[in-house]
Amino acid sequence: METFIQSVVSGVLTGSLYAMIGVGLTVVFGVMRIINLAHGDLVMLGMYGAFWGLTLWRLDPFVSILLWVPLLFLGGMLIYRFLLKAIIPGGELNTLLYTAGLSLLIANLALFVWSGDYRTIKLPYALSPMRPFGIAVPVPLALAFGLAILITAGLSLFLARTDLGRAIRATSQNPEAAALMGVNVDRISMVTFGLGSALAGAAGVLLAPSLYLYPTVGEILIVKCFVIVVLGGLGSVVGAISGGVLLGVVESLGAVYVSVAYKDTIGFALFMLVLLFRPSGLFGVGKS
Amino acid sequence: MRRAVPLAAVVLVLVLPWLTASQFTLHLAITVLLWTVLGVAWNLLGGYGGQVSFGHATFFGVGAYTTLILYLKLGLAPWYGMAVGGAVGALVSLPIGLVCFRLRGPYFSLATLAVAEILRLVALNWEGLTNGPVGLLITALPPVRIASRPIDWESKTPFYYMVAGLALAAMLAAYGLARSRLGAYLLAVREDEDTAEAVGIDTVRAKVVTLALSAFLAAVAGGFYGLYFRYVDPDAVFPIALSVEMVFIAVVGGLATVAGPAVGAVFLVTISELFRERFLVGHLIFYGLFMMLAIRYLPEGIWGGVRRLVSGHAPS
Amino acid sequence: MRRLCVFWVLLSATVFVSAPAPAQETLKIGAPQPMTGPDAPFGDKFKKAYGMAVEEINAKGGVNGKKIEVIIEDHQAKNQLAATVAEKLITQTKVLVLTGGRASGQAVEIASVAQRLKTPYVVDHPSADIVTAKGFEWVFRDNPTGSIYPQAFNKFISEVPGAMPKSAAVVYDNTVFGKTIANSAMTFLKSKNVPIVNDEAYAVNSLDFKPVMTKVKANSPDFLLLVAVATTDAILLTRHAKEIGVAPRAFVGFGGGFGVEDFAKELGPLSQNVFSSAAWSGNPNDPAVKEFYKKFQTKYGIFPKEHEVEGYSIVYIIADAMRRAHLTGNVEADREAIRQALLKTDMTTVFGKVKFGNWAGPLGDKYTNQNIYSPEHSVLAQWLDGKLLNVWPKANAETGYVFPDPTSKR
Repeated sequence: METFIQSVVSGVLTGSLYAMIGVGLTVVFGVMRIINLAHGDLVMLGMYGAFWGLTLWRLDPFVSILLWVPLLFLGGMLIYRFLLKAIIPGGELNTLLYTAGLSLLIANLALFVWSGDYRTIKLPYALSPMRPFGIAVPVPLALAFGLAILITAGLSLFLARTDLGRAIRATSQNPEAAALMGVNVDRISMVTFGLGSALAGAAGVLLAPSLYLYPTVGEILIVKCFVIVVLGGLGSVVGAISGGVLLGVVESLGAVYVSVAYKDTIGFALFMLVLLFRPSGLFGVGKS
Repeated sequence: MRRAVPLAAVVLVLVLPWLTASQFTLHLAITVLLWTVLGVAWNLLGGYGGQVSFGHATFFGVGAYTTLILYLKLGLAPWYGMAVGGAVGALVSLPIGLVCFRLRGPYFSLATLAVAEILRLVALNWEGLTNGPVGLLITALPPVRIASRPIDWESKTPFYYMVAGLALAAMLAAYGLARSRLGAYLLAVREDEDTAEAVGIDTVRAKVVTLALSAFLAAVAGGFYGLYFRYVDPDAVFPIALSVEMVFIAVVGGLATVAGPAVGAVFLVTISELFRERFLVGHLIFYGLFMMLAIRYLPEGIWGGVRRLVSGHAPS
Repeated sequence: MRRLCVFWVLLSATVFVSAPAPAQETLKIGAPQPMTGPDAPFGDKFKKAYGMAVEEINAKGGVNGKKIEVIIEDHQAKNQLAATVAEKLITQTKVLVLTGGRASGQAVEIASVAQRLKTPYVVDHPSADIVTAKGFEWVFRDNPTGSIYPQAFNKFISEVPGAMPKSAAVVYDNTVFGKTIANSAMTFLKSKNVPIVNDEAYAVNSLDFKPVMTKVKANSPDFLLLVAVATTDAILLTRHAKEIGVAPRAFVGFGGGFGVEDFAKELGPLSQNVFSSAAWSGNPNDPAVKEFYKKFQTKYGIFPKEHEVEGYSIVYIIADAMRRAHLTGNVEADREAIRQALLKTDMTTVFGKVKFGNWAGPLGDKYTNQNIYSPEHSVLAQWLDGKLLNVWPKANAETGYVFPDPTSKR
């Protein structure tokens, strides 16, 4: 029984962190219909931000996140304004490949500047996990989980209650109608991309103490992230969270009770199964 | 003029081994031609049909493994193995298509990616069949005589002509497809699938047949890879990066054109070689930059752009 | 017309790129390595190691008056590129010898190319048995094969009283490295009737080992054996194992990620008492070797381990062969001459004694041109206070071992 609970708890914690990465991706897709392949590298930048914040300025990642999030928000907006905006009219596939090029660029610039050495974030309070009822819960993961919930709640409130949030949702549902209602679609796209990047950065900072850093880590994160987002339904924040937690738990249980070697296969099989019965994902908005 | 260029290109390809003594140039040319076959294969479904698959490595890998397993375990010569591999690839594409074609847009793309990943993991773990991560290695090829002279497998020339033949066949297939009724159906599906169905086109059949042809070509290319590089392991033939590269070649070359993938392959192989030679650690920075610039300034691909410049209208 | 011109320009460009290299002034050694991607830090280690060896040899007059040069090219950890790079180095740059490769998949591809194009490939680090088990007469290997890595551990549990495991959980990555080593370790344990309570293969670069460790903990293994070719996996495996609360009498790694400085640097106190049974980094009790460590550390700021020592030694082995071979300037003849010289190699490097021969490995593989001293080059080391120190066999030990693991709460 303990094994089962431990599996589920680990799965939920890990899965929710992946979900955090996915939220940024799904928001961007919902509004702009862009699949941003550089998303994983933005997460990587967040991770390195946390690392340098700790190494150079002795800032705990859960504090320096306040610095990196706005920086990445700005960065995202700039990327949209000066790079992506001109590409979008070329079509979804072109945009996707463009972001693939961007991903290579960012990852390899990071490699060049910071070298490929593996780094980790060592937090003194993270050495031993908490053990409520004998279930191991690593401290940074728990903190990250808590913060992720806060951030996602904040995001949902933002989207539901504020004017800007409503404008974003409107654009996501129907850009033409939104434009007719006076929404500046271009500006909303820019803000959304900034938001997506900021969320990526936040996910990176939160993830960093529980994982490890190297410049091309984005490419492994992005595949997991895609599966989660598509599983949950592109464009849906709730979908990304559910997809993440679901995948996390299924993979965890699959590894423990079926086979570790086929853990990822089980995840992919689940993914295909869900799509078979719900072609737009769990909470998909129906449009493709 | 329209006939002269393709003819000149074909002649050039045929005489290349006599123009250069460098085995490395031939190796690069073989790589270019292999990517051309893959690009053309992907283009059939992705360019003409508008179904963007991110999992074409599935068929490449299936072809590679079939060819090598048949040769190393049953002694079937690799050239026959390639043909069988192609057939297996086409067969495998049927259930995959049936499942994935129910999905649209990015859902379809990601489902194909998932399929490729599943197959990679199966190849990695089903050791009895594939040798798992150790992979399959050819140490000697069967002796073959053509007009009573044995083929020298240490030279690049026989492989070059093999893959050149494949590339030519693939492009002819694309040419034929574009001009056939199936090609017209595909165009309709690409532009607006629902309307195409409303008009009475059997869109599922069109997509499935095209995928089968595309899978066949990709799998034969996979068989050639196994034959030429002599070594196949799961990460070499099923990786996501390979699927993405196929898409890239077709897009940068020119979607829905016959020669586009060839142009794309030439550029990409040349560019990546040049950069890698120049910059030991930073070459991918420039490769990424090149990708971005190519898409930014040549959104129809290099060949598409050239065609438009010359003939004044966009390719079909 | 314009399109035709474009095509010709393109072709000329390609031909130009592949123009033959200028006349040889240096003796060239080719080394495909991963310089980008997740394996990049390893490529960098080899670059440093080769660099230092080349510098030293050239400072002493080179080889018979000629300077040597190691040309590294990035293969991005992709088999196809490893083949392309090997072809380029052989046919275009016209190197006399190849080395490097780093990962087994690429090494197999390089070996295949070297064998076909008749160029000596002197392996420094890749451990896949298959590289020297296919009868390739052009391929030589200095370092021990994967199936040899566990031998020092096998000796330890057999010789130290009470150290034979009562049960063992084996967790390894699904690569040639992981599978070969795990297989070798498990074969030995089975022959001693040790029950294997977990046999788990995981995918390289997994992000999360908590599920695996949960499964392992349920069986309370006496020993936990971990194999990871990637440093990142080694770090996470250990961290998650301890977090979940697996408490064996010993954590045993087998080189790869468990044998690099980063392991202790990143894990800190969590790395304490973890064993690593693998290729050694030279005999630390040998003054010449100690001298080398000091020099390397001073020059590059990192303490050399397995990779650096192997890379450094291989250049000396190649230089020695070149010195004995009668080099005429004809590339094909010189490669054959070097191969003949390698067959007669009998020397000692910082990595230990080296002589290439044909013999059978622990799992029965028939080796060709594998260093006959390889079984002596496996050592059991332990991470103590951030340093990886040899603890078994006694002849190569730098310090006493710590066993059972006191930090493991049972």
